[in-house]
Amino acid sequence: MVCTIIQGSRLGGRGGSLTMSLVLRAHPQGVCVAGYGQSGGNEILQLLPPPTLQVKETQGLCPERDFKVECGGFSNRPVYSLKYVPDTSLLVTSGPPDSSLQVWQVSAEDSDVIRPVGAIPTVNGTGQPWAKIATVSARAPWVLHGSRLNSVQITEVESRKNVYMAASSNSEELSGLAFLDGNTLLLCCAKGQLCLADVRQPQSPLEAVSVPSAPCGERWCMGVGRGPQGSDSSSQPVACLSSGGHLTLTDLRKTSESLASAKCRVPSPSSGAEFLCVSWAPALEGYLAISGFDGTVHVYDTQSWDSSGREAEPIFVHRGHAFGGSDSSGGPPLVTVHTWHPQKPRTLLSAASDGSLHVWDWVQSCGKCG
Amino acid sequence: MVLPAALTALLTLVLSAALLQFCLKRRFPDFSYITQNGRLTDFLDCVIISHFHLDHCGALPYFSEMVGYDGPIYMTHPTKAICPILLEDYRKITVDKKGETNFFTSQMIKDCMKKVVAVHLHQTVQVDEELEIKAYYAGHVLGAAMFQIKVGCESVVYTGDYNMTPDRHLGAAWIDKCRPDLLISESTYATTIRDSKRCRERDFLKKVHETVERGGKVLIPVFALGRAQELCILLETFWERMNLKAPIYFSTGLTEKANHYYKLFITWTNQKIRKTFVQRNMFEFKHIKAFDRAFADNPGPMVVFATPGMLHAGQSLQIFRKWAGNEKNMVIMPGYCVQGTVGHKILSGQRKLEMEGRQILEVKMQVEYMSFSAHADAKGIMQLIRQAEPRNVLLVHGEAKKMEFLKQKIEQEFHVSCYMPANGETTTIFTNPSIPVDISLGLLKRETAIGLLPDVKKPKLMHGTLIMKDNSFRLVSPEQALKELGLAEHQLRFTCRVHIQDPRKEHETVLRVYNHLKGVLKDYSVQHLPDGSITVESILIQATAHSEDQGTKVLLVSWTYQDEELGSYLTSLLKKGLPQSTS
Repeated sequence: MVCTIIQGSRLGGRGGSLTMSLVLRAHPQGVCVAGYGQSGGNEILQLLPPPTLQVKETQGLCPERDFKVECGGFSNRPVYSLKYVPDTSLLVTSGPPDSSLQVWQVSAEDSDVIRPVGAIPTVNGTGQPWAKIATVSARAPWVLHGSRLNSVQITEVESRKNVYMAASSNSEELSGLAFLDGNTLLLCCAKGQLCLADVRQPQSPLEAVSVPSAPCGERWCMGVGRGPQGSDSSSQPVACLSSGGHLTLTDLRKTSESLASAKCRVPSPSSGAEFLCVSWAPALEGYLAISGFDGTVHVYDTQSWDSSGREAEPIFVHRGHAFGGSDSSGGPPLVTVHTWHPQKPRTLLSAASDGSLHVWDWVQSCGKCG
Repeated sequence: MVLPAALTALLTLVLSAALLQFCLKRRFPDFSYITQNGRLTDFLDCVIISHFHLDHCGALPYFSEMVGYDGPIYMTHPTKAICPILLEDYRKITVDKKGETNFFTSQMIKDCMKKVVAVHLHQTVQVDEELEIKAYYAGHVLGAAMFQIKVGCESVVYTGDYNMTPDRHLGAAWIDKCRPDLLISESTYATTIRDSKRCRERDFLKKVHETVERGGKVLIPVFALGRAQELCILLETFWERMNLKAPIYFSTGLTEKANHYYKLFITWTNQKIRKTFVQRNMFEFKHIKAFDRAFADNPGPMVVFATPGMLHAGQSLQIFRKWAGNEKNMVIMPGYCVQGTVGHKILSGQRKLEMEGRQILEVKMQVEYMSFSAHADAKGIMQLIRQAEPRNVLLVHGEAKKMEFLKQKIEQEFHVSCYMPANGETTTIFTNPSIPVDISLGLLKRETAIGLLPDVKKPKLMHGTLIMKDNSFRLVSPEQALKELGLAEHQLRFTCRVHIQDPRKEHETVLRVYNHLKGVLKDYSVQHLPDGSITVESILIQATAHSEDQGTKVLLVSWTYQDEELGSYLTSLLKKGLPQSTS
């Protein structure tokens, strides 16, 4: 397979900066990254991608190949998670030392500075792990956030009003949460358990969805597929990735057994599984990508998988970050986050701990097309 | 302290450098901005040219010969060698080809260059008794320099165009920790995060390779000097590595002279080129040959570098017309094209061009655009600021309307003020000039002799008189000052009364006070004089009974102005009262 790094840029100065989070926005086009700056401060940058990334076909040479920094902001706490609030010009971020969220105003007429406009505090939030965030564009701008099962809540961003609180006394740490549709929430615990909740029934307990044969002692994260606009997301399998490289796919309609599972050949993550990431390709059926173990991103085609849990061969491994040099702590770079381009089928963006940002795709050399 | 002439000259000097840059709407900048009245030669101390790009030197002969300036013009050696070539070429195209009048002549270019004084890197050039300048390596293009301009202890660094990442034939810009009061930096790419050079080059080579593999011809219009050498090295290295046989040509004339200068000024190129120079001069290309007009009709694949860069005239346009009709061919535009040129038209998507004689040219060849310009981006600007450690930063030559984020980033990280004035706007920068003062030896000796409590951590107060005369400052003892100025000395004495409750006789109170002070002020000289008074160093304390109340004693504490500190201290000490048990 041949990889084309369409763009390779480096944020921050020598030794780079630690890029923590990355999110793509479709309308208007933009990429938002956050990480440590050179002097130890934390920056949020909204980048305008070059025209090469904005058109359907990959152009050969383009006048503008660079990312433009549309606006930037400074955060006094690390930004571990970052999400755009749909239909607004707001951004929400979270990070240590507690589980509160910070709200930011992105676009202003006269300035290119991303300004903090407030915070969403959480009850007993101090000392809690940083909150995971999900947003939905179905209703009023809602943000689903929480760091533990018993602190899952939905806040209306503009009014900062709490509209839902999960009824759970379980203090399991969360590794991710998502809206399956406007009413259904999926929560993933760090120990691997999945739970469903219905926003319309805040009093009823969370429905636990067991993940069969999940080895203990590992840390898990999940990736939820995004179906085409309007389709029911719960029809897409949920992918769960463990720090030991186990991937299980679960159909939420039939959770008694996993749909498929496989083992990925990855080293144990150098940074304690903080940056494990798994995501489904929005435009390629059955393809997903994983990262967070080392300086690579693996792409798998899950369509041929069964439930045997065998080792799976990746369709493609992106190694570009590993050649980038060392990160600020002197070790090899670790891919901290990746995401798929919403329209271009085989294009991904990935960022690593040395401050590099790669936009890349790969070429199928076997007869399959698209 | 004012240094009017020099400081004004300093600022105007920098302004000129910025003004000599091209203004696309007018042919030449309006130099009446420098001074409305008086001749430029009288007003300016010198002119500095940072590098040979036309937007930085194109108006120089006009400025010196048509507006009128006879003072020195400073630039680096390569710039001095290459400028006249580019200016002559510019003149030829403008006057001969386009028929413009009111332009400088060849003789004017020659006369202008006679006023040029070439400088070496890191050489301090004394322009006059007050003004000195120094050039630093700027990368960007051969001979480009950043200049430090210094008057007394105030200095400004103007970057011109610079590049903080080395490329194949030039090193990166570098400056020492010169701590200027102001750093004026170009900010063309300040809000950009540049794509990696490797990706850019790889894509370019891929396109060239693909075209050549299918038998097509690649035309790369270039400016004679500048990025062309970079691309030559890139292609040469690629051809060598891939063992390609298709010919690469460089159109002669201007460009041959250019390569000659690159070979000559090898010390201005980067480390790698200088190292390999012993074995092989990087600019002696193995795969790149001189072009002949006739070659354009040869069958088969080839790559041709031809001038000028915007396809507006000359050889590149001729070749373009020959090759445009074949879709196997490709033209790669190397950079910005001015509106109206063929380059600009085809980059905008036009595929039917009207040439002279009403002929329509249909463009079937592939049109590509790549930009290899070498400017510093935000990261590069931060790096330069980190190297130079200026007290203030000013960003110019930028494209982005909004650079608030970068300004804040610079201010936060370096704790300096950052300015981004618009055209025509004035910015005021405050400096902290240091003023040297001579101290008289007598005063110095006297002050070091009085060592009451020699504590290196505590600042000591020194008493002296500052005499300002004829632009010199001297610090002398007050006695000497009085003597020099013929004034009589007056003494100031303070007296303070402290009431103490003590029914005993006065001399007993005095004894109590004396013992108390002797115990507390162990490092001071406390004496009990026969007349009943106490002295602490030169401070006098006397006790008398209160006129109305025998139980109260009044202590009179008296000191001179010089002993103010000790006097106040004693007074507050005594006000606290005396300890009970004293004999």
